[in-house]
Amino acid sequence: MDIRTVGPLLELNKAVPSFEESGLPPVPFSMRVMPGECVVVEARDPENATQFADMCSGLVPLDEGSVKFMGLDWTELHDREVNALRGRIGRITHRASWPTFLGTHLAITLQQLHHTNRPMDEVVAEAARLSEQFGLPGLPVLRPGLLSSADLLRAGCVRAFMGRPRLLLLEDPLEASPVELERAFLSALTDARDKGAGVIWLVRNNAIWQGYQQGVTSMWRLADDGLVAVRTG
Amino acid sequence: MSEDNLTPREGGGDRDPILEADALPHRGRKPFVLHEWLREKLALIGRMTRHQARFFLIMLGASWGVIYESFRSHSWRRTVRYEFGVTLNSVVGGGLIATLFSGTLTGVAAVSQTIYWLGLAGLAKMTGSILINVVIREIAPILVGILLLGRNGMLSVTELGLLTTGGQVRSMQAQGLDPFLLLVMPRTLAFTLGGFTLGILFSFAALLTGYVISRISGVITNPVWTFFYDVVVAMSPADYLIIPLKFITVGFVVGLGGCLTGLTATNEDNLRTLLPRGFSRGLLIVMAVSVLFSLDL
Repeated sequence: MDIRTVGPLLELNKAVPSFEESGLPPVPFSMRVMPGECVVVEARDPENATQFADMCSGLVPLDEGSVKFMGLDWTELHDREVNALRGRIGRITHRASWPTFLGTHLAITLQQLHHTNRPMDEVVAEAARLSEQFGLPGLPVLRPGLLSSADLLRAGCVRAFMGRPRLLLLEDPLEASPVELERAFLSALTDARDKGAGVIWLVRNNAIWQGYQQGVTSMWRLADDGLVAVRTG
Repeated sequence: MSEDNLTPREGGGDRDPILEADALPHRGRKPFVLHEWLREKLALIGRMTRHQARFFLIMLGASWGVIYESFRSHSWRRTVRYEFGVTLNSVVGGGLIATLFSGTLTGVAAVSQTIYWLGLAGLAKMTGSILINVVIREIAPILVGILLLGRNGMLSVTELGLLTTGGQVRSMQAQGLDPFLLLVMPRTLAFTLGGFTLGILFSFAALLTGYVISRISGVITNPVWTFFYDVVVAMSPADYLIIPLKFITVGFVVGLGGCLTGLTATNEDNLRTLLPRGFSRGLLIVMAVSVLFSLDL
């Protein structure tokens, strides 16, 4: 698998998502995210935001066009390659994402343990460090069902920023979140961008990202006629 | 727009063009065309056949997938090994007492009775072969299969079914975690190994209990090793292959069937539909394997 390290990290090239599979409007979507960029996408409907993030991850079949991640078209890859590439995406989602049969610590580290050969101690140490950064007393070991929604949100942030994600698909983690989470989140976001990660931050409410306005590269709106560029500033 | 449509319609007028258009298809019946009728009926039969065979075909494909992937070193990542270990521990460790207890009950109910009645009929020499053919080859795989299904198979159905309908499986895919590789393969192989282990333990417990009961009641006077020697001598070379293969296959299909029933759940499913489906499928699979191995072998 020949991965491109220069050029757009994510490229939606007139991608028309299947309406039957996703519920997204079947119109061409075009967007580019370069390494280190932070793109805000305003999506009023959380279900559409999740489906859009799925489309960026190559989970939504396309009627036309292409979605390329790190220079590779999702549709031209085999299952193993697709999964390996998705292992480089950190994601916070509104969809239920905590397996009930695993402890939260395992669910947080699962992606790293599955896709990398990093020593277990190193992965656990990073997870514990990020947990503290996001306001948890340590790496949570209880089952996800036993954690409060605020702690689950923090754990979701830890999971998304684990390892060195190349792309972050963040579905509005700051909505209805504890106030102290904002600083930790923006700090982690900046660190990730400094390391070359591209960020797609899906928001429902424009007020949420205003504190980070200067860091935002571009702003889009997910409307019925596709992605519409919005002037910032 | 034509002029007719622009003409204002009087209230309560005699003709409503919209209602008229709606009623139009119902006004005249379609003429009967034989080949159209035949095509519809054939399509219906095809749909029903495909629907009934769907799970069987999925099972066949997934069986090959599990076997194929299990021989690839890349498949055995640490997360997969972890899931295999946890499931094996749950199948063998969790089912050990229940299996030994069932084996003991079978020993009391079936083995000791067989020994007693064969001794009474003067057919004591056939004890070994009867025990092998009836208890070990036929009863043990079915009972172990049912125990596996009830204890762990239904758990897999529920867990994976809820993960699928809840959207967690989709989230796992978004992280690049293939549910087949991470859940189905290790669980199926753990069930396979667990089926063999529990089957052998069940057989041993049944035979030992049967011997103890018979010895206490004075039906047989042989020492225990003579009894086991008679049983072992009564085994044909084919039995050494078929008995372990039967235990292994029962474990494999129960594990795979449970996982696939869970993973193929739809949004319309809930526990009330999933559990009966999982149980009936599992039971049918166990019986089918048992019958398949008994066919002139």
